[in-house]
Amino acid sequence: MPDFSLTPEQESLRDAARKFARTEMAPHAAECDRTGRFPEEVYRKAYDLGLMNLNVPTEHGGSGLGLFEQCLIVEELAHGCGGMTTSIIANCLALEPIILGGSPEQQTRLLDPFCAQYQLASFCLTEPSGGSDAGGLSTRARRSGDEYVLDGEKCFITNAPHASLYTVFATIDPALHHRGITAFAVPRSTPGVTPGPDEDKMGHRASSTSTVRFEGARVPVANRLGPEGEGFSLAMRTLDQTRTPIGALATGIAQAALDHAAKYALERRTFGKPIGEHQAIQIKLANMAQAVRAARLLTWYSAWTIAGGAKGTLESSIAKCFASDTALHVADEAIQTFGGYGYMRAYPVEKLLRDAKLTQIYEGANEIQRTVIARELLREYA
Amino acid sequence: MEIVVCVKPVPEADTRLRATADGRGLDPENVKFVLAGYDESAVEQALLLKEAVPGSKVRVVSTGPAPRTEEVLRAAIALGCDEAIWAEAPAETVADPVAAARRLAVAVRAVPHDLVLCGKQAGDDESGLVAGALGELLEIPDFGFVTDLRWDAASARFRFRRAAEAGTEHWECATPVVIGLQQAWNDPRTAKLPAILKSRKAPIARSPAPSLPDDAPRSVPERFSLPAPRTGAKMIEYKTPEDAATQLVRILREEAKVFP
Repeated sequence: MPDFSLTPEQESLRDAARKFARTEMAPHAAECDRTGRFPEEVYRKAYDLGLMNLNVPTEHGGSGLGLFEQCLIVEELAHGCGGMTTSIIANCLALEPIILGGSPEQQTRLLDPFCAQYQLASFCLTEPSGGSDAGGLSTRARRSGDEYVLDGEKCFITNAPHASLYTVFATIDPALHHRGITAFAVPRSTPGVTPGPDEDKMGHRASSTSTVRFEGARVPVANRLGPEGEGFSLAMRTLDQTRTPIGALATGIAQAALDHAAKYALERRTFGKPIGEHQAIQIKLANMAQAVRAARLLTWYSAWTIAGGAKGTLESSIAKCFASDTALHVADEAIQTFGGYGYMRAYPVEKLLRDAKLTQIYEGANEIQRTVIARELLREYA
Repeated sequence: MEIVVCVKPVPEADTRLRATADGRGLDPENVKFVLAGYDESAVEQALLLKEAVPGSKVRVVSTGPAPRTEEVLRAAIALGCDEAIWAEAPAETVADPVAAARRLAVAVRAVPHDLVLCGKQAGDDESGLVAGALGELLEIPDFGFVTDLRWDAASARFRFRRAAEAGTEHWECATPVVIGLQQAWNDPRTAKLPAILKSRKAPIARSPAPSLPDDAPRSVPERFSLPAPRTGAKMIEYKTPEDAATQLVRILREEAKVFP
């Protein structure tokens, strides 16, 4: 019989994340959203409590959590602030290629000193010419003795202005298309590596995003993650691991929107009674609650599938796609429940809509997710 | 230094509370119990002393029913306490602070103790009796409402302050002693994820119940009622801030009679 109850360990982790989200993140969410400030003090505290390098094995200094536990934590954090959560979990994405593709020597050399103190890392895949077409990227890696020389530009890179380590996907020969892609761990201190200025974004404004330029950046062969030409597969295996937590992040935003809407429905009175007693609002809340729970269960199912050793490409794509669509829709309905107040920046729900929007775009746009879902689905029928 | 901290599970601050069907107490169904705020400060104080005095050991003791008591013991272990001791007790015994103190005293007597720390009162019933009762039962000095507790190694004495109505008292005291601490003057730490996971596997020692008739509750709560919803809020309808202020001054003067 499937069991949806959490173990005491899982409950403790969820409670710790919930407490952190309520006491350390939520109080600064509106201010950081308004100003675009990168709340480094929040991220330092998240690191201190072990909320940052969730997927890194404990022997390398991380929290060593399974995917299901990561999802429980990420949903709670996102309830506090979606943007901050993106910055907190960006290390998980950036370090996953080292966990999956790095040799034991590379893991020790790269992960141990990195995780021993507060540091940020960035996953550098997307380029100005395209993100979803990852096989066609144009950043070049040319072999020169026992080094590679990297040239090119990455964009929309989370935490890039603040990161000390980049995991970079570049091609040894564009003609080879995805079979030429190779992964590298590149310290920010490498000459020729330059992050751009912080982008001014619609949402996730507490997070930081920029380009990263590589101009003749020399990276030792020892920092190549896996063999030449295996980078595309490594990127896809990385995203198979990190897609599900994005479903959890979107679920957290959706749950926050539902919480705000339901509380407001009990307080706000029109026509002599709380709006929660009007059927139009009741139907809205009922639909929102259904969607949020479905998003959570799809996320849990995906995490459970992958934690059990399966690849989970189909399940994680479904979870990410459904939960992010849900987050946008539920945030939209929360604004509608608030009426004119919901459109005002003084109230918390319009931020949720702007934050939710990104979850449909990053870590694989939902169009790509649907392509993947259809492909996997039709394979089952072929 | 051998330190024992006594902690109590209390309902989380934003929990929606209900009375039990018999109306005598709080219904624990669906209530999340956490370490009381005062006790968090006591645990923090114990850990600060442990860090300051090499070779110290912190034992945490609680009494009450499962699973809430086990949960707060594990929370204290996750914060850094070395050992946990559970004096199992039915919920109705916990409602009697002196009965709770008797169970705690059995556990404390069984381990070395230079310092017994408590929050000055619990976050739920706020009886504030346990520290005093523990001092009497253990036949050692006890102090409540304590702040700025420090260990003076040279004189082998504790130094601390008590905020009394007439002024601030400055004390020094030899070991062993029971101290009831004021809340939140020491900024309690937060448990880290690896420590939380480790705390789930920590062994919890059991402390036996005191022999009867000592263990029988001497007092039984008769009725528990939640505060009535507050009424009488008055919303001022206004067009301009000046209008709102004028109306507020009139209400304060004529209706509330706050000033003439």
